[in-house]
Amino acid sequence: MKKRAITRRDFLKKAATLPLAGTFIPAILERKGKRKEQVPTKVRVVLVREKDVLDEKGKPRYEVIERIMDEGVCALFGTSNAREAWRQMIKADDVVGIKTNVWNYLPTPKELEDYLKKRVMECGVPEEKIAIADRGVLNHPVFQRATALINARPARTHHWSGMGTCIKNYIQFVPRPYEWHADACADLGKIWFLPEVKGKTRLNILVMLTPLFHGIGPHHFSKEYIWPYCGLILSQDPVAADATGLRILLARRKEYFGKERPLQPAPHHIFYADTRHHLGVSSSERIELIKLGWQDGILI
Amino acid sequence: MLFNLRRKLFSLIFILNLAFVFLGGMMTESRDYLSEKSKIKPLTAADLKKLVPENISGWKAVSEDQVFDPETIFNYINGAGEVYRSYNFRLLIARRFQKPEKPDLVVDLFDMGTSYEAFGVFTHDREGENVEIGQMGVYKGGLLSFWKNRFFVSVYAEDETQETKEAVLELGRQIALRIETEGRLPDLLHFLPEARLDRETVCYFHTHHILNYHFFISDENILQLGPETEAVLAQYKDSGRLPVFLLVVRYADENQALYAWNVFCKNYMPDARIPGEIKVEDGTWTVAKTRGRLLVAVFQASTDLEARSLIDNVLLEK
Repeated sequence: MKKRAITRRDFLKKAATLPLAGTFIPAILERKGKRKEQVPTKVRVVLVREKDVLDEKGKPRYEVIERIMDEGVCALFGTSNAREAWRQMIKADDVVGIKTNVWNYLPTPKELEDYLKKRVMECGVPEEKIAIADRGVLNHPVFQRATALINARPARTHHWSGMGTCIKNYIQFVPRPYEWHADACADLGKIWFLPEVKGKTRLNILVMLTPLFHGIGPHHFSKEYIWPYCGLILSQDPVAADATGLRILLARRKEYFGKERPLQPAPHHIFYADTRHHLGVSSSERIELIKLGWQDGILI
Repeated sequence: MLFNLRRKLFSLIFILNLAFVFLGGMMTESRDYLSEKSKIKPLTAADLKKLVPENISGWKAVSEDQVFDPETIFNYINGAGEVYRSYNFRLLIARRFQKPEKPDLVVDLFDMGTSYEAFGVFTHDREGENVEIGQMGVYKGGLLSFWKNRFFVSVYAEDETQETKEAVLELGRQIALRIETEGRLPDLLHFLPEARLDRETVCYFHTHHILNYHFFISDENILQLGPETEAVLAQYKDSGRLPVFLLVVRYADENQALYAWNVFCKNYMPDARIPGEIKVEDGTWTVAKTRGRLLVAVFQASTDLEARSLIDNVLLEK
């Protein structure tokens, strides 16, 4: 072993003093003093919720998605209207890949995809320069030429990485995803520095309409473990978006199970993306969280 | 004076460990994982398909069955495929059932090669109420899981209703009936002392990733676990507020066990005054010993005495 092994005992030393320590064993131990210089002091995350975003069958209502997304991007970019915010993200000459997630049980909602495409087109990007895809992005002609990416996926617990996150959503940009599975997918953050994606992401959306907070069985899914949270998390920093989503999932688990129940395995790829790969920030102290809309049961 | 005492203590512990190694070598000759693995006869997808009915309670199998192997499983269940690969699974058939206006049912039948692996992968996720289906069937949230012989079976309703629950359970019963004989439990389980054991927490596995899933030890493989080792982890109640975790690992040979013990002690308890024993930061005790091909470790014991006592009970089991 080349580096010193991080053990449960290291976690025990930190656990008493750090919130969420149980979820970021052992990434907490890799904080480097220099990283403060590499990222802004605080990053902005917007959590926007609307009670009526889902219809009686649990299907997202397009008009509500459009409204709360518009509110969200305005708050994120500090603009008075959504068009202005979108024009800060997308230029008319961009080629835009909208990276979604097709997981059968909880895919990126079609209504959100439609909204994103519409707003990108309003920025002057022609339809043929926009693609929406998940698997196969590496060989997709639009994604191959993409100058801008928008990353949108639902939040869920995950059998091997602890949590399905915005960070993890880029695993399809590598030819052999299974090569990134070691140590509960610890180094997924590194993917974001590959040429296919580096510096291109303009917006991350962690979909929290009906998040999955616990999984069972080979498919890691049961409707028993989703709930209508009716929210969307927006940020330009995928780590901050994911860390915020994780806090909500953990709070929901505590509420549901009646006790602290850390995710298995620990989703430490979120925190490694911060401490090891310097992709963004995970500490709530360094996240400016703006909460909009419905406040009941917000859990954060 | 103190130095001399400590040196004598270390010598005594070293001799005791050697004795454990010797005795353990004699006492662990049994049907271990490696001998079971050597007897595996390959099955085909056609063999597996025969074990699953074509229809049940009005639900009918639709389209072609999907068949996956360790290379293609990621196309079906993404990263979760790693769990089944960790247990050396051979083949999976997935069959979907439909009934008009009703939620779909899905059967996933895994050929795990040996009953040890089938039991092991079952223990990875055993939430639910116990049901008398297969070996150790459990049901929760529309999902029935059980193992029998060399197979791990999951039957899942995409939406849970009373009707789907009954169909899922019946489908499970039919599959279990078609798997003619039951499978043996890993004989490593026999090392677990019965007293105060929480049976529902027993997990059987090979790799440190799976160990960390259930109880995080280290980001590095400091116990030298791997496909050729087998391990069992279980929780015990003791006098403290936390459950005690007992880990028993069996290595391919005695040298590997001793080496693993050394690596573990060096990394996990470099500050131990007595090799293999340490009071850790939360006030609980961790104690580890080797015996023949076995490494036995106890975590979260409220006292050193309780930790040693549990390990002694492991040794007494055989």
